Amino acid sequence: MPMITVSLPNALRSRAGNRSSVTVSGSTVREVIDALEHDFPGLRFNLCYENGELRPYVNIFLNSDNIRYLRGLDTPILPGARIHILQSVAGG
Amino acid sequence: MSYHRSYPQGTVVLAVGTKRGLFLLSSQDREKWQVTPTALNGTRVFYAAFDQRSGCRLFATDNGDFFGTFLRYSDDFGETWQEPRRGIQFPPESNQKLVNIWVIEPGRPNEPGTLYVGTDPAALWISHDHGETWEVNDGLLSHPTRSQWGPGAGGLCLHTIIADPTRPERMWVGISAVGCVRSDDGGKTWVFANRNTRADFQPDKYPEFGQCLHRMVQHPTQPDTLYQQNHCGIYKTFNAGDEWIDIQNNLPSDFGFPIALDVHHPETLFVIVEGMGRHNIGDHFTVYRTRNAGEQWEPLTQGLPAGPGVRLGVLRHGLCTDRLDPCGVYVGTNTGQLFASRDCGDNWQLIADFLPPIYSVTATMLV
Repeated sequence: MPMITVSLPNALRSRAGNRSSVTVSGSTVREVIDALEHDFPGLRFNLCYENGELRPYVNIFLNSDNIRYLRGLDTPILPGARIHILQSVAGG
Repeated sequence: MSYHRSYPQGTVVLAVGTKRGLFLLSSQDREKWQVTPTALNGTRVFYAAFDQRSGCRLFATDNGDFFGTFLRYSDDFGETWQEPRRGIQFPPESNQKLVNIWVIEPGRPNEPGTLYVGTDPAALWISHDHGETWEVNDGLLSHPTRSQWGPGAGGLCLHTIIADPTRPERMWVGISAVGCVRSDDGGKTWVFANRNTRADFQPDKYPEFGQCLHRMVQHPTQPDTLYQQNHCGIYKTFNAGDEWIDIQNNLPSDFGFPIALDVHHPETLFVIVEGMGRHNIGDHFTVYRTRNAGEQWEPLTQGLPAGPGVRLGVLRHGLCTDRLDPCGVYVGTNTGQLFASRDCGDNWQLIADFLPPIYSVTATMLV
């Protein structure tokens, strides 16, 4: 499986040793999240509800494409791609 | 570690949960107050409470807007925060998704490791190890009528938990908009306890369940006596909720959110009722007090703001009392003002302003 660089938003860096990006392996976004959970327990719940559904104000980009407009968590990942996890523009 | 390096014994500490973080207010005389922000900043803190049964652990909800909702605890008055080893997360097979954590209650005095949490979607969570691990109560989660439960405006929230200190098998929870639910067998099964409480928004005004109970308190020495502020009235029961008695009497409205009582004089209760706009009726912000368990209510206004622009609302956890005598009474508004009385409501002062909207106030005297 390819090794993927994942950029983390400020709010989640404390769970990853204060790193702004980490490297995990995965062939799909779902597998990347599984890998993140393995390396940084609790991170999955920051991104997804208990039933595995992506939280509504969490955006995951594969390179520059929002996975919501691709195949969601089943979006395949090619080697060399970069994942960006960002909070969406919302709130007040 | 010294728990009291900043707060001497006897200090009254208010934990004020707001839309943008948790604040602590402390006082040695309930007259001069110091406001201290905590490191739980920028998040929706629906509720916070100290548990002094072993140490001085501060629990708080971290209801995040983006990255999830968590229960957190601090052993240093909010400077640093921990996450439970197994926190509040529904089992995947339950098909439930945690929306908000609404209330945290330390358990009975003789069960020092036990705590309870209420959530939206409505569920009761229990810890027996001082908050390190949590499990959902299956009896309530699997209630046979659950598919018929509908939310209030704030969600399908379990916002009140009363564990009867005299009977280990009995407890009540309050759910919007389901009503009062009681267990007599340690949480294995639950029955509705809503008789004679109204649901004016339903075709059947007295249904078995579906009432919007806002907040409930138990008499400290008569365990079968409880009081509730409901969407449609104020009530008391003398038989553990089997039947309720309307005690609105001379109050100007049947609608309000919070209710609190004086533990030393338990026939003394406090409510804040509101008008159609969900703020003070008329131009004077008013707390109402009864000295006779609801037979008669009196308005308390001395030191509270008045004027044509005064429109203050108080949410269900925004009113509390402390355990001193005369009791202190504390009111936090949904516009960020915090008022305090040290003489059972006779006189009030503004002790904090410009806070974010206040969701909850709890009072603790440090021992």
